[in-house]
Amino acid sequence: MLSTIVFLPLVGAILVLLLGGRGDRADREPIVRYAALAVSLLSFASTLWLWIRFNPSTADFQFVEQRAWLPQFGISYHLGVDGISLFLVVLTGFLTPLALLASWKSVHRNVKLFSFFMLVLETAMLGVFVSLDLFLFYIFWDAVLIPMYFLIGVWGYDRRIYAAVKFILYTMVGSILMLVAIIGLAYAHAASSGTLTFDLAALYGTTLSSSMETWFFLAFTLAFVIKVPLFPFHTWLPDAHVEAPTAGSVILAGVMLKMGTYGLLRFAFPLFPNAAAYFAPYIAGLAVIGIVYGALVAMVQPDMKKLVAYSSVSHLGFVVLGLCAVNVNGVQGAVYQMLNHGVSTGGLFIIVGMLSDRRHTRLISEYGGLKAVMPRLVAAFLLITLSSVALPGMNGFVGEFLILLGAFRWHPKLAAVAATGVILSAVYMLWMFQRVNYGEVTNEKNRRLPDLSPREWAILIPTIATAIAMGIFPGVFLRPIEPAVVRTVDRIHNTLPASARSVISVPHPAPRVPHPGVRERTNE
Amino acid sequence: MNSFAAIIPILIVVLSAAAAMLAEAFRQPGERMPIAGLGLIGLAGAGAASFFLWNTDAQSFGVVHADNFALFINIILCIVGVLTMVFSHDVVEREDIPSGEYYALTLFAISGMMLMAAATDLLVIFLALEVLSLAVYVLTGIRRESAEGAEAAFKYFLLGGFSSAFFLYGIAFAFTIAGSTRLDQIGTAMASAPHATLAMLAVALLAVGFAFKVSAVPFHMWTPDAYEGAPTIVTAFMSTGVKAAAFAAFLRVFLSTLQPLEGHWVPVLSVIAGATMIVGTVVGVLQSNVKRMLAYSAIAHAGYLLLGIVAANDAGKAAVLFYLLAYAVANLGALGIVALLGTPEHPHDQLRDFAGLWRTRPGLAGLMTVFLLSLGGFPPTAGFIGKWYIFAAAVERGYYGLAILGVLSSVVSVFFYLRIVVMMYMTEEAAAPARPRVSLPAMTGLAAAMLATFYLGVLPTRVIEYAVDSVKSIF
Repeated sequence: MLSTIVFLPLVGAILVLLLGGRGDRADREPIVRYAALAVSLLSFASTLWLWIRFNPSTADFQFVEQRAWLPQFGISYHLGVDGISLFLVVLTGFLTPLALLASWKSVHRNVKLFSFFMLVLETAMLGVFVSLDLFLFYIFWDAVLIPMYFLIGVWGYDRRIYAAVKFILYTMVGSILMLVAIIGLAYAHAASSGTLTFDLAALYGTTLSSSMETWFFLAFTLAFVIKVPLFPFHTWLPDAHVEAPTAGSVILAGVMLKMGTYGLLRFAFPLFPNAAAYFAPYIAGLAVIGIVYGALVAMVQPDMKKLVAYSSVSHLGFVVLGLCAVNVNGVQGAVYQMLNHGVSTGGLFIIVGMLSDRRHTRLISEYGGLKAVMPRLVAAFLLITLSSVALPGMNGFVGEFLILLGAFRWHPKLAAVAATGVILSAVYMLWMFQRVNYGEVTNEKNRRLPDLSPREWAILIPTIATAIAMGIFPGVFLRPIEPAVVRTVDRIHNTLPASARSVISVPHPAPRVPHPGVRERTNE
Repeated sequence: MNSFAAIIPILIVVLSAAAAMLAEAFRQPGERMPIAGLGLIGLAGAGAASFFLWNTDAQSFGVVHADNFALFINIILCIVGVLTMVFSHDVVEREDIPSGEYYALTLFAISGMMLMAAATDLLVIFLALEVLSLAVYVLTGIRRESAEGAEAAFKYFLLGGFSSAFFLYGIAFAFTIAGSTRLDQIGTAMASAPHATLAMLAVALLAVGFAFKVSAVPFHMWTPDAYEGAPTIVTAFMSTGVKAAAFAAFLRVFLSTLQPLEGHWVPVLSVIAGATMIVGTVVGVLQSNVKRMLAYSAIAHAGYLLLGIVAANDAGKAAVLFYLLAYAVANLGALGIVALLGTPEHPHDQLRDFAGLWRTRPGLAGLMTVFLLSLGGFPPTAGFIGKWYIFAAAVERGYYGLAILGVLSSVVSVFFYLRIVVMMYMTEEAAAPARPRVSLPAMTGLAAAMLATFYLGVLPTRVIEYAVDSVKSIF
């Protein structure tokens, strides 16, 4: 079943390629668009079905598929989802059709190839989240780069080539060192246990010499924090985001950045718990710097897309902080915030894309007073902005609250600094919103802009509905996440020596999570 | 012992080469003859013979040993040969290359390569080396009116002759120690006196000879010039075929015969491997001529292959074989496309010539992308599995430094492979002359190469099993 979900978009991609005919044929454009959309919607439906069939009460991997693939090296084709990856899979399925819809009018050149790469990208991203074999994971991890490189480089804005090359080289440097660490880890495991395997479950708890563990942890973490991106490894992100087409930005911010945080949680921390315990405060420190730095830089951006890009640096800092706390609140909040950020930042990029489709500029100074011209678009803009600044009742609040709760129990000082990021995010987002939408119409070109089209309604309604639903009924989402988070946190702690345990987190019992719908956690 | 079985694949190729020469001799001026077809028949026969010889462990005359290792290389060489023939059909006439000589020399070169992979005597290896080298020297300069071709051939010939002399000198020293040029006897003699000065000299000189042929730094100087000056189709052929044959002999001599002296040559070869990876990729970045760029990429790939030899474990040996296959398919595909797009007036070998290829030739651009991604080592292509296998072998032996150097240099190489991709997809077409049409057989060849690239990248198990079997047979 998971294989079907993962490879359905790839089959669709090949179908799209065949439907498109030879070369760039304008007459085939509609059929290609609808075929790609249909495939992505089908794929979304399949991920929803996965959610329905998912058993929320267990921490075990579900829908597991395992087949020997390269038996000489103990590599198997091993897939499975747990609560941590379930919603990332759903999020991928959710955002891909939205991204395709968002580029309906803005992408005209070779729609066939565009749709092809979007669907290939979806397969690769889904693969990253469900792989339970390190080799398989790495293949999907690296395969994500190629379609995104093309999406930025071919359909992007002016400096697209620079951004695309920077993106791919920057992320490759990190991930290729991880490849060496993966091989090293497997051989170290083989040396101690006698069997060579790349299976994640088998590699958990491998005993390593402390220098080896440190190096492997750093190699894994470098790959992941570049992807996140954590300050100071974030410099590829503003370029990639700004130059990418809307669909590229939505997928990049919505899903690909989460591959980094997911990797930290699934691989780097539980595989190398001692090193993680040692480095967690430093990583969290960088995360907090990123929160404040990203927010401050976002504040002064004249370009809306760049502003949203830097806001991602800030928001993802929260996620990393929550992960570093390694307690159930923090990690659960981090997982939840990954989803929130996907929905709200994806939505923001879509809105900026809509404005830029109409006016062909993303500069805040070119706008002003849009509320009078396009009241519906501005209303949607407002809701998504509020979701992004974590207004209580919206999705962002739950995630940031849980993260800060977890962080306070671990490291109050860092949490206190991080909390200023909540305020700063309100400042830069609302200030931008105000300059763009309120006041008089200062630019004559803005006078006659059309309001939302039915297609744009179709994009924004699900986005906003999801943002609100995730704010009001967080329990629906947190319940399936929780067992897997508890297991992962325990895994990181149980393998620790008692002395290191207190460094990394406050021991049990966990305090009550004071939010309706969030079940109290007891794991004593 | 004296059965001819082991040389049957070689004989078939030689016969088809002879047939090609005869066909040329009886050709009327202006008559068109499908000489490439003769070559294809010969190569198919050699491939089939190699297939049937699998696991038979046939020997001929005590110096040619058709073990699985040699047969695996034979198969790679047959693939290289078939693809070359298929592409040549388009190119030879257009480029005004004398077709009879061209096909005959190509086939003779392949027979030399096969002999080199199967020889178990240093003198026979030398003989094979000369057979293939002479053929390739001539092929490099086969366009007589081309000044660059003549220069390239001359350079290649001089430096190649030089390296042959080193190699022969090495053989002489080995003979002094063992009283024989047979690999097994040299191995025994070396094992009993691993610290003798003569042994050191023999190893060093043999290493120099091989390093020339596989274009390892600092013996790589001829490579960019020869690759650039030769007709592109010849570049495609020699960058894959010669490399496969030379690495086969390198592997056989160093990892079976000279394995006892591992402690002496591993440090040297690891330095060479590291330098080769660095120079190949870093200098490759600076090139604006695609053939030159792929020449430096070939140097870098030699560095990765050397890493497999340095690892000197079972994984490393099998990895070299797998890598040679993956590299051959992808590199032939990429250079084949360059050759197929070139005309005598417009060689289509500058970076900017590729601008907008995607608009006019989406199929070729797509194929080129797949080959370049495979050379760059992206999953899910053959190149990724090859690199992974090599680096896994190195890490297994604890060579983390070299493995990290290798992966980082492969990131640098991605940069220049992507420059071609940027040109093809992201740059508007310049006012370039019309590109020639690509015939159906050549297109089929490219498609087959692409399928092989994906097959080796997604389902490599079977081929890896064969590679593991092959190295078991000799080491």
